[in-house]
Amino acid sequence: MKRAIVIAAALVFGGLLINAIVDLPSSPVDLRIAVADNMANSGVSHPVTAVLLNFRGYDTLLEIAVLLLALIGLMAAGPMLPPPPNQPADALLQKLARIATPPVIVVGGYLLWAGAFRPGGAFQAGAVLAAAMVLLHLSGLLSAWNAQLLPLARRVILVGGFVLFLCISVALLAAGSLLQYPPHQAGLLILLIESGLTLSLAAILAGLFLFLSRDNGGAP
Amino acid sequence: MVEPVTFVVWLIVLPLAWAVAAFVTGERIGAWLGVVGSAIQTFLVVWMVATWDVAVPVIHRVGGWGAPLGIDLAVDGLALAMLLLTQVVSLPLTIYARSYFSEDASKSRHFWPLAGFLIAGLNALFVSADVFNIYVTLEIVGLSAVSLVAIGGGRAQISAALRYLFATLIGSGAYLLGVALIYGAFGSVSLATLIPLVGSNPPQAFALAGLLMLFGLMLKTALFPFHYWLPPAHGGAAAPVSALLSALVVKASFYLTLRLWTELFASIADDIAWIPALLGAGAILWGSWRAIQAIRIKMLIAYSTVAQLGYLFLVFPLLPGQDAIRATVMQACAHGAAKAAMFAAAGVLIKATGQDTMAGLAGMTGRLPLTLFAFGLAGMTLMGLPPSSGFLAKWQLIEAGMARDLWIIPVVALAGGLLTAVYIFRILSFAFLLSPSSVKIATVPRVQEWTAFALAAGSVLLGLRGVELMALLPGQVP
Repeated sequence: MKRAIVIAAALVFGGLLINAIVDLPSSPVDLRIAVADNMANSGVSHPVTAVLLNFRGYDTLLEIAVLLLALIGLMAAGPMLPPPPNQPADALLQKLARIATPPVIVVGGYLLWAGAFRPGGAFQAGAVLAAAMVLLHLSGLLSAWNAQLLPLARRVILVGGFVLFLCISVALLAAGSLLQYPPHQAGLLILLIESGLTLSLAAILAGLFLFLSRDNGGAP
Repeated sequence: MVEPVTFVVWLIVLPLAWAVAAFVTGERIGAWLGVVGSAIQTFLVVWMVATWDVAVPVIHRVGGWGAPLGIDLAVDGLALAMLLLTQVVSLPLTIYARSYFSEDASKSRHFWPLAGFLIAGLNALFVSADVFNIYVTLEIVGLSAVSLVAIGGGRAQISAALRYLFATLIGSGAYLLGVALIYGAFGSVSLATLIPLVGSNPPQAFALAGLLMLFGLMLKTALFPFHYWLPPAHGGAAAPVSALLSALVVKASFYLTLRLWTELFASIADDIAWIPALLGAGAILWGSWRAIQAIRIKMLIAYSTVAQLGYLFLVFPLLPGQDAIRATVMQACAHGAAKAAMFAAAGVLIKATGQDTMAGLAGMTGRLPLTLFAFGLAGMTLMGLPPSSGFLAKWQLIEAGMARDLWIIPVVALAGGLLTAVYIFRILSFAFLLSPSSVKIATVPRVQEWTAFALAAGSVLLGLRGVELMALLPGQVP
């Protein structure tokens, strides 16, 4: 009975949604034109990066806060026990992980650099670097993190990108408003922010895995 | 010369800064940073209220682009009133929390960063004039509130936090779907751009978006019958966290409901205004009834929040009348200060007696008179006795209802006041009438008692200075 009601409600809602989307009028505002008109002053040549880091950079600043919050929330609620000691995995796996890591770092660096003119940027680069850290952890080369005892250096890396972004935003307040880049320095400042964010995002994303890891290297 | 509008930016940047600084430096320095930061924020907002001509809304264009390409922050009287409430309530709570968590480093370590992000998110939410940016601020507020509930990680707390997380995620998800539909229909997410575009005959997608967004926000505000997640979360968290959540977090999504209802969705809202009012009346009756039955002190206060939130929604059939907005803002402020005081006082009582039950209060008046006095004062505001701010709120609500011949509103408001009196006097009767038990009373630092008292006294005294607060709201005082 309950299931039937849920299914019926989902169908009705889905129908309404489809109907609304099919009937969607052509929108009176076209932001693509505004974006194209202002690309020259944005400091980058890829529109997505221009929107994320310049036109709507304030959203991105707050989104980084959301990611940090997810990590701090995990630490606050997370396991009180220290993680189990790391156990080395299969020698072949370790060897392959060692071979794979340097190219992954290069790919991360390239994605960061490419963000200025093609799809890419700090989020993608950070995700790739985080994947390398997870790989190293799973092959027993990088130990899990203890949420209760986090060394100062790690805390600084976790928040560093956000702090850099916040400081630059506030410094630009002198020009009139928050995050108001001077057009000539915009490209450089965006690259600086994205570089900081890449490292911090890699640490945050990897942290979400490494704080919770109870992996014991394949041992029963 | 610093323009006052940049103060608003500082109200967002400062708590973000002390949140990350507290994360890096740890609990000892972090607690000081939190208290000092909150004090500066309070100073800034009081300065703003004192010097600002609120008749003219002020706009800060982030990035210098301006809407619809960029994001605007807009401050009007309503936003300013909520900023004032947030800073004035959170300052005593940070002082309280510094003392409350002083023995427990593992909880304190995470409290300060999360509290900083929460306050930054609230301030950013109140001034945002962009429906997508509002979604991001809602995420900050929601995630930090959920994490604050989970601090310390007891079994019951984690399950309450998870339930809260699912509720808040469904709420944000519905809101975000609405934003996507609006962007699809109009091509913009800036409120200032959207409002003139809506017109008298909006597309169907707009109406669906309105229903989704308002549903999401009401779920986040815990309006009856979507309140199921609130009592375990607010009743199970640490006392300073419960106070922040009940006093401020639910008000944020209510503020958005009110703002979107009167500005963006005014064309579709008129026909369905009876729904939130009806749910509000249900909340008052059901929340009060459950509070009367409660066995645990904090559960009683949490159900009282469910009931008091109902009052906020009673005014919806009277919108967009300025008298109705004034009544509901006064109720939000009165409840904010009184409920923060109540949870703070309950925290002291629970620490002193070592138990969270009504029976544990037996004979506490002689042992913690100041805390019981604070509890009584806060109760006075909730009941709506003169000269408290609660009285002023109910008075305005009743007057606005009668001016439009909607007699049901005064009737529900008065019935709610009586029910409130029942559960407040139930607590006080345990404390006053039962003979003291032989349980040993732990000593609680005086600063916790005094901050609870300051909040309670503030909620009463606000009733005497209500005119100044009401002067912030558009339409001015008649």
